[in-house]
Amino acid sequence: MTGLKPEETKQIKGMTLRRDPAREDCFQVVHSDAEMQEWPGMTEISQRQRIHRHMNNETGAIEIAAQCLVDFPEAPWELRMHLARQCWDESRHVAALYQRLREIGGRKGEFPISCFEWCVTCSLDSLAARLALQNRTFEAGELDLLGQLPTKWREIGDERTAEVLESILSDEITHVRFANQWLKLMVREDRRLLLKIAMAVRFLTTVTAALAPQEGQLSPIGLPFEAPQNRITQVNVADRRQADFSDSEIDEYLRQSGFQSIMATSAEG
Amino acid sequence: MSLSVQQRAEFVATFRFIQVFLMETIARWVPQTPEMEVKVLFGRHIWELAQQADSLGKRVYELRAPLQFSLRPVESYVQVLEEFARTETTPQKISGFYDVILPGLAARYRNYLELTDHLLDEPTTRVVEKILNEFQKMIKESETLRKELPQLCLADKNWPAHLARPEVSVPTIVAHRPSAAIA
Repeated sequence: MTGLKPEETKQIKGMTLRRDPAREDCFQVVHSDAEMQEWPGMTEISQRQRIHRHMNNETGAIEIAAQCLVDFPEAPWELRMHLARQCWDESRHVAALYQRLREIGGRKGEFPISCFEWCVTCSLDSLAARLALQNRTFEAGELDLLGQLPTKWREIGDERTAEVLESILSDEITHVRFANQWLKLMVREDRRLLLKIAMAVRFLTTVTAALAPQEGQLSPIGLPFEAPQNRITQVNVADRRQADFSDSEIDEYLRQSGFQSIMATSAEG
Repeated sequence: MSLSVQQRAEFVATFRFIQVFLMETIARWVPQTPEMEVKVLFGRHIWELAQQADSLGKRVYELRAPLQFSLRPVESYVQVLEEFARTETTPQKISGFYDVILPGLAARYRNYLELTDHLLDEPTTRVVEKILNEFQKMIKESETLRKELPQLCLADKNWPAHLARPEVSVPTIVAHRPSAAIA
């Protein structure tokens, strides 16, 4: 989707994506979630795998924000300040998760990693589209996940990880909020950006479908993939509001996520 | 005689240009650098450099230039920066930034403090002194990381001199302009 040079791209299942960012040799970099190990429950290996995966996602978030600073030097200074701040926040998240990973006996490279968010987001040629995907979609999705995860960790007696995740959540709200606020402003000034954003969302949908596991395919640890309808995370309405999603945007998201019945109940009071 | 308001604005705007250039350089290095701990270090310092640029950009406005105004330094210094930005290996990037470029810039900031009137230009001196303290902290963080991960230390101990030589050979970095170009 951008004027990337061929050496900056990779071809995966017929899709042209931005090439993966640099990783140390200890990491096995895979191209999709279908190739990731996802251990069920909250066993010791599952705990390490969850933190390892989260740590790499946060690393990707530093890289995406940093690359936006590089690729869009003409963006308003206030917006660049937000991106620079985001680099710092995501760096602290990586450091905190890496510390926690080592404390529970894990190590860098113990599990395969995927840089999917970087490969998709940094294929886009406008800052508005990147903010729409990285901050408003991926990070907003993280708000939903992080709304639930601390409870899971507390249930197994891991207060420290729960605290780390809660701190990350509060930072991520800020990242989603500044993206929402700037996107509204940018679109008000240039309606054509809506088309760029719509194309970015369509691009994400297409890539996600192309890289999804095939029917009957087993995961790398030999388990069947969970059906998409069973993977739906509870929408974190309160924090999405904090992040400046409007009520109508939240309603629309709930509708798309298959929560019509809850919405009806809630509307009935 | 100390610096005029316009001269101060030129210095501050030049410092801002350099700060933004450095922020963009280490931002570019984040995805290109394999080591996760170095990505974290650079990510932290992108924000430091941005805040420093922001303080200078607010101060330059008080010196009768546009808000967040940057002034491109003299060409010989730009060449030093561009050569630095082309650094390839992680140990060279770290050494180039924390052992050469930041200390070199700190020396230029201290030189500014010697030149300017500390009463009339106290707002700038406060901004610059704060930046100098932060530079020390940034350098210290890089030293701590290099102690933790010795593979990040330079094998070629002469390499910093290769970058430092052209840096110190540029006596003044401000490309003075006619006043109309600033105001």
